[in-house]
Amino acid sequence: MPGFGMDQAVGWSFVSLAGFIFTYYTIWVIVLPFVEPDQPIHNFFLPRFYAIAGPLVAGVVALALIGAFIIYVSMPKKVKKS
Amino acid sequence: MAIPKLYQWLLAASIFMAAWLSYVAGFFQTNLRQEYHNIILVLPIYLLMAFASYSLALLGYRVATFNDCIDAAEELQEDVKEARKDLERIGYKYASDWQ
Repeated sequence: MPGFGMDQAVGWSFVSLAGFIFTYYTIWVIVLPFVEPDQPIHNFFLPRFYAIAGPLVAGVVALALIGAFIIYVSMPKKVKKS
Repeated sequence: MAIPKLYQWLLAASIFMAAWLSYVAGFFQTNLRQEYHNIILVLPIYLLMAFASYSLALLGYRVATFNDCIDAAEELQEDVKEARKDLERIGYKYASDWQ
């Protein structure tokens, strides 16, 4: 295996980020309803409303950015008059 | 299988969404506990988040394990040298060798 370069660092940080997001969201959405509301673990999570609103807003923003990018790329280039 | 993968996934997603929508719209009566009800309500977004995490992890893993194929490159260089020798043997002249 070649040396541990920048690519490996970026790749494994992506993997850890994905694992963290998945674990956090699973605990937030699947486990937390079964925990009593007075337990201190609830201090680490926002109210349940944001578990739905957050991904929805992020998805809408992402789709808007992708759409804007596609429109920008597929617009006909202005021909320079020389 | 003859059915394309896209249609398999679309079919599974449609069946799941049909079941989920009929549950949310109250087409059938259940006496689930409130906790299970809360989980079922966010299940589509949870599956979406799981898919997003999986995609991100796969992307990172492929980036981290992307190979340079050093052995193959060396082998190819050897082949080039061999072919060059063979061509010189039968009288072929390279433009890069002209002085």
